[in-house]
Amino acid sequence: MDEPTGPSRRVEIDKDAVQRDLMKLVLTVIELLRQLMERQAIRRVDQGDLTDQEEEDLGTSLMLLQEAMDDLTEQFGLTASDLNIDLGPLGPLLPRR
Amino acid sequence: MSDAVTYVYAVTRGADEATVAGLVGVGGGPVRLVASGPLQAVVGDVDREEFEARALEERLEDLEWLAATARAHHHVVDAVGRVHVVAPLSLATVYYGDDRVREVLEQGGETFRAVLDRLTGRAEWGVKAYARDRPVAPAGGSGGDRPRSGAEYLRRRRRELREGDLTLEEAQQAAEEVHAAVGALAEATRTHRLQDPALTGSTERMVLNGAYLVPVEAVGDLEALVASLAEHPRLRVELTGPWVPYSFAQVDVS
Amino acid sequence: MSDDGGLERRSTSLFGDQEVALVDLLDRLLAGGVVLTGDITISLAGVDLVRVSLRALITSIAPVERPSAAEARTVASSVDRPQLGSRHG
Repeated sequence: MDEPTGPSRRVEIDKDAVQRDLMKLVLTVIELLRQLMERQAIRRVDQGDLTDQEEEDLGTSLMLLQEAMDDLTEQFGLTASDLNIDLGPLGPLLPRR
Repeated sequence: MSDAVTYVYAVTRGADEATVAGLVGVGGGPVRLVASGPLQAVVGDVDREEFEARALEERLEDLEWLAATARAHHHVVDAVGRVHVVAPLSLATVYYGDDRVREVLEQGGETFRAVLDRLTGRAEWGVKAYARDRPVAPAGGSGGDRPRSGAEYLRRRRRELREGDLTLEEAQQAAEEVHAAVGALAEATRTHRLQDPALTGSTERMVLNGAYLVPVEAVGDLEALVASLAEHPRLRVELTGPWVPYSFAQVDVS
Repeated sequence: MSDDGGLERRSTSLFGDQEVALVDLLDRLLAGGVVLTGDITISLAGVDLVRVSLRALITSIAPVERPSAAEARTVASSVDRPQLGSRHG
């Protein structure tokens, strides 16, 4: 677990580490939303709610979003595990890959 | 320190000053006893400002402070618990002086005695279980290929999510069986909140975080049971203990 | 076991103070133990370890790079969750 840094140690933090920590927080939230949207999309396909074109467009958007997330996490030296916060009642929304 | 309050770690019986001699408590001060009849409260002085209500709430969200305080608290309770049965108190119980502590012991005497009786000869053990990762087989052909359409992407993701959910469900069912089996050896059981992977550093989902009050004579069976689960296909099982029975000391002493 | 029920036995070498996992300890100290009405009454029930962990993460970011306090609170509270008393599935 990351240890919090006290005031006397803050001045030693380099910018890269700071940015990575911030991105980790942001990307975690985005990853949650991405997976929520993916499950919702699949649910709608299963329910027959979407036309073929809608399904295709939705799938493509989600695929591109996943690829963008992969790029960003790689860029900041983060792994899928880094982004995985267990959110209690939201349960298996962030399954281990 | 200029303004001190009395921090109470636990209530015990049969202890004397030798039991707590040399122990260092929360805030770095010495540990001593406040006695009332057959009971002793294990206490220490702490800085009043640090523990006043509003300051304390802020500090509880300071992980460094919380960690240091929890470890110091546990160090004292655990040390006493190795030699005497203890009724541990929850974190940060403070009173304005030893006389107040004595009052609390007197008023709650019967209840403390009942708790101590219930905990004598028993210890708390923890069993945690994690869902083992199972690799998801790649979708037809080589899974590394980029899906050729949005629809194919969704199909692939549906399959992966379903398999993941199934794996988790099976692990959860297995965890319930483990909980029941361990519970059969215990006098009381309690489940704690499942620990967040961000806190444990584990890459696996926790599916069981159980606490069990186990009589000393059943500990061998408990260890054997956990050992037999080492190769469980769905679960990775961990045993912690013995603990002073923090999880089984709940009682309302008002 | 000592004659009055102390925990003399240690089954493994794991249980020196430093080797007890902090999360395991906090599970027990925040949700366990005899609850007395101390002279300084505070509520421990609301301490959410995920929120604590996120705040630790946020406060580790140096002031010059830190998002505004309002933004940080918004992000942290969006992943906040209610206290659960039992296992979820």
